[in-house]
Amino acid sequence: MENGHCPKILIVDDEKGLRIGTKRLLEGEGYSVETAENGYDGIKLGTTTEFDLAIIDLKMPDIDGIQVMKEILKVYPDSVCLIATGYASYETAIEAIKFGAFSYIPKPFTPEELFQKLSQGYSRRELILEKKKWKQEREERLLEVAFEKSRLNTIINSITDGLLVVNKNGEAVLYNPSALKYLSFDQIKIEEYIIDKLHPQIAELINKFLSSQKCEQKSFSSEVELKPNREFYVEATSSPVANPDGTLAGVVVVMKDITELKKIEFLKSQFVSMVSHELKAPIAAVYGYLKLFSDTSIHLSEEQKLNYLNRSQIRLDGLLKMVNDLLDISRMELKTVNKEIKEIDLHVIIKAIIELFQIEIKKKNISVNVKSSEMLPCLHADQDEISRLFTNLISNAIKYNKTNGSIDIIISSSGNYIILEVKDTGIGLKPAEKTKLFQEFFRAKNEKTKDISGTGLGLSIVKRIVDSYSGKLAVESEFNIGTSFKIFLPLRNGINNKEQKAGN
Amino acid sequence: MQSDVKKKILLVDDDLDLLEQNKILLESRGYQVITADNSKQGWELFISEKPDAAILDLIMEEHDSGFVLSYRIKKDNYGKNIPVIVLTSAAYFTGFKFSASTGEEKEWIRCDEVINKPVVADELVKKLESYFSLKDS
Repeated sequence: MENGHCPKILIVDDEKGLRIGTKRLLEGEGYSVETAENGYDGIKLGTTTEFDLAIIDLKMPDIDGIQVMKEILKVYPDSVCLIATGYASYETAIEAIKFGAFSYIPKPFTPEELFQKLSQGYSRRELILEKKKWKQEREERLLEVAFEKSRLNTIINSITDGLLVVNKNGEAVLYNPSALKYLSFDQIKIEEYIIDKLHPQIAELINKFLSSQKCEQKSFSSEVELKPNREFYVEATSSPVANPDGTLAGVVVVMKDITELKKIEFLKSQFVSMVSHELKAPIAAVYGYLKLFSDTSIHLSEEQKLNYLNRSQIRLDGLLKMVNDLLDISRMELKTVNKEIKEIDLHVIIKAIIELFQIEIKKKNISVNVKSSEMLPCLHADQDEISRLFTNLISNAIKYNKTNGSIDIIISSSGNYIILEVKDTGIGLKPAEKTKLFQEFFRAKNEKTKDISGTGLGLSIVKRIVDSYSGKLAVESEFNIGTSFKIFLPLRNGINNKEQKAGN
Repeated sequence: MQSDVKKKILLVDDDLDLLEQNKILLESRGYQVITADNSKQGWELFISEKPDAAILDLIMEEHDSGFVLSYRIKKDNYGKNIPVIVLTSAAYFTGFKFSASTGEEKEWIRCDEVINKPVVADELVKKLESYFSLKDS
């Protein structure tokens, strides 16, 4: 046959001569032929293998040919069956066809007659098979499309950003669970006008396109407070969706959760406010004194004048310190600090700082003790930062200490950390103060701290330095007894085989 | 109309220098001045000294201590009749601009006037005098 497929034919006939003869005839023409000598064998063969065509004798001793055909068609409904019979009549013909035969061929038949019928039958079979193939392909493609669509849906439903699409009439056509959540809707009805149910800012973003019905490719964004008090903020962006012909099909809105960002923004602006307040205060104080000096209606004694000049100096000193501390913080914030990591000799650093504070230490008669464990692993860090750390802690330990008090500086190690501790016998902290201790500009204020000056940034800087090394800070304090600051700095793995001997 | 006795002004501010400066200024304008640098002491002085006016800084050891002191003074039987002026450079802390201009706002802030720092001494004196003359007349 034409397309290279070798048609398979089944002959079911009890007449041996006819069976063998027809088989030989057909095989000669390139068909593949199998035979069965009775009905039951025919059924067995025909239901276990799919034949393209079957020639079935009508009258067989064991079972009716039509029965055989019925059984075969049950399993292979697309088989083309020819009923062959010597008892030709209209009735038999109609009967056969009624039960599913393609045609019937009266016996005896000539080879030409046989081939003609076979050819017709085979064409029919080919058509059937082709139709089947197309149907299968179509189903597969539909499945693919459905799969793609559900894959797309899955993706859309998985993104955290809220997605809402409306058509050019403002009716909702697509949305995802995040959109429902962000907009606080229980449901969105598809093809329902939704614009007036939306937050006015979001409605406005959409209306920018709906009102002009133009599709110039541009987007609009707004920060929208969906829940008051900064509890939930989104950045909503609307973009036009175009039809193939360039007209407006609809608008897509994407909502991104920026609540965290807003919180940080708020904290930063609060910080800026606090900074400007802290900077203005000493300036106002000095300015105020100058105004007193220049006010002709006010008489100041020499003592007052000297006092005010002194106070002005003190305030400006404080201002300068504050500015330097702020610069330190801003550098750390911008991470423009390049750490110069090298081996640190803690004893040298601490000794130098204690030297620096000699006057204050002597004034209050404070005893300073430095202790360190026998075998200490080496600390690798930036010298300036560690120096700053100790300066701030020791300065506080002196400032807030009692007269005749003491300061203990203890260096030890545990596991993967080196532990730096600064302990004092100072006025200590109340629980409320402890929680705010590392906040910028926080300074404990009570009767005992009246005369203690400071920028309120020292501990904030200590915390930033410790954080930058991924270290830990621990504070223990008892009001009126004393305070201990413990810093845990991680040692770099593998580098710390050399060990420092304990210093004096 | 000017009484012979100097009017006594209570000043409360945690900035010692500002406290000193305002004290000198007000004394030079003919007032008697008592000062406190925290709200607790401020309240005690109010009770013991019964000043004719109070000028309070808004932000002291707690963020709302000036408010609280002002509120307490105004609620007091004696205090409700004296002018209480709140000074602030601190619109930032609470985020809104203070005012006591409307009746409603006065009720809420419980003071008579809110003035932004830095204060101009003469402006302060003018305000005080306007309150005093209102009372005296």
